[in-house]
Amino acid sequence: MTPLANPFLLLNKDGVEVQHPDDASWIFNVSKNGCLDACFLQFDADLSVIVNLNNENAKCDLKCIYLTNKNNKININIQVLHKSKKTISKQQIKGLATDQAQVNFNGQIVIPKNSQNCDGMQSHRGILLSDKAVISATPQLEIWADDVKCAHGSAIGPLPHEQLFYLETRGVDKASAQKLLLSSFFNDIIPDDFEQSVQQWMDENV
Amino acid sequence: MAELLKIEHLNVKVGNKEILKDLSLSIPEGQIHAIMGPNGCGKSTLSKVIVGDPAYVVTSGSITFKGKDLLKMSADERANEGVFLAFQHPVELPGVGMALLLKTAINAKRKYLGQEAMDAVQFMKHMKIRATALGITDEMLKRPVNVGFSGGEQKRLETFQMAMLEPDFCILDEMDSGLDVDALKVVGKAVSVMREAKRSFIIITHHDDLLKYVKPDAVSIMRRGTVVKTGGPELVKLIEEQGYDAIG
Ligand SMILES: Nc1ncnc2c1ncn2[C@@H]1O[C@H](COP(=O)(O)OP(=O)(O)OP(=O)(O)O)[C@@H](O)[C@H]1O
Ligand SMILES: [Mg+2]
Repeated sequence: MTPLANPFLLLNKDGVEVQHPDDASWIFNVSKNGCLDACFLQFDADLSVIVNLNNENAKCDLKCIYLTNKNNKININIQVLHKSKKTISKQQIKGLATDQAQVNFNGQIVIPKNSQNCDGMQSHRGILLSDKAVISATPQLEIWADDVKCAHGSAIGPLPHEQLFYLETRGVDKASAQKLLLSSFFNDIIPDDFEQSVQQWMDENV
Repeated sequence: MAELLKIEHLNVKVGNKEILKDLSLSIPEGQIHAIMGPNGCGKSTLSKVIVGDPAYVVTSGSITFKGKDLLKMSADERANEGVFLAFQHPVELPGVGMALLLKTAINAKRKYLGQEAMDAVQFMKHMKIRATALGITDEMLKRPVNVGFSGGEQKRLETFQMAMLEPDFCILDEMDSGLDVDALKVVGKAVSVMREAKRSFIIITHHDDLLKYVKPDAVSIMRRGTVVKTGGPELVKLIEEQGYDAIG
């Protein structure tokens, strides 16, 4: 994957037309056999992504990591439109909010009537690091075709107390235990290029 | 013998439920102390209170460790002072590898004691020796802690963590339940090898299986949230033959 001018985006875009109307917005048009592979890293920043899977065998694999704190309010909107049959989409979103931050995540998958044999997947997990932080997730699935696969899931909550306690009984203090669990939380979707920036953000803000 | 752990008149609640009642127990340095008692009598609760589980509230009584007030310390401080629990039901840590956990733990303790961190080479050596002795494979070390391991494997990994961290006071909560004969020998050997003049163990068990490999110096019987009798190894035989009703 190649980083774009934006240091917090990694992109692989074979057969993809990219529009970038403003700082926070991206539109991707994926043509036949095209493959969009993107990872967004959002520090206290809004994101709006529209992916049009326009022709057969168009694919997208989207990852998004968001981190926010203080009084920030961020909106993450991801819309994937399966405009043709036999298109495949995968979205993995993970994030954390601390202090009084608020996150609104909207993830939409649309599969119209004529788009048979599509496969859409969306998973979202949000970690709340303070009682006052709020993450709300509204998955919207609009599935009109009948022969499709579609899966989605969202889980939001604090770091599990039992896990923190287990680490503490091994001599790891609470703050370090939190950091360890958070790095492993992001571990499965984070690209190597982003690890350092995420670590730095956590060191400064968690 | 100097006292390592001293529990006096301990009362513990979860919510409104009293679980431990007026429990007293004292463990001198270098002692292997077996605790036996029927299901639900409070053995695991006692272990978790000693390591500082915030779910349990100590309503009265005291626990001193090396003469210090343990109840005033956080769980990580207790660990770094040398208290260790091999859990009856260890917690899964998705995404956290065993090597990372242990390196973090060892260096947390070194920092606490004002010592220099263990470097990567030293650490690998420290780990290799103990992994080999306990039959822990590289594959097991790479997998996330406790995730997807069999019950027996989890217990072997808890024992391995104990061997890695070299604590002064080790509680093994039913490390022998569900172990095959070979694994039982391995756990027994780990305790025997670690046995030292100043290091003590509590071995919580339902059977004499593990105790065949590790001879306890003292045995306490718990019932209904308290220690009802403390004696020598002959108590194990009595319980095996006559059950808990032979004692209070
Ligand atoms: N968090 C909790 N909430 C409510 N009750 C609890 C909690 N923890 C323990 N108990 C209760 O306290 C009692 C003692 O439990 P504990 O797990 O300490 O028993 P044990 O002696 O270890 O039993 P076993 O031999 O089955 O492992 C039980 O009745 C149990 O249901
Ligand atoms: Mg128990």
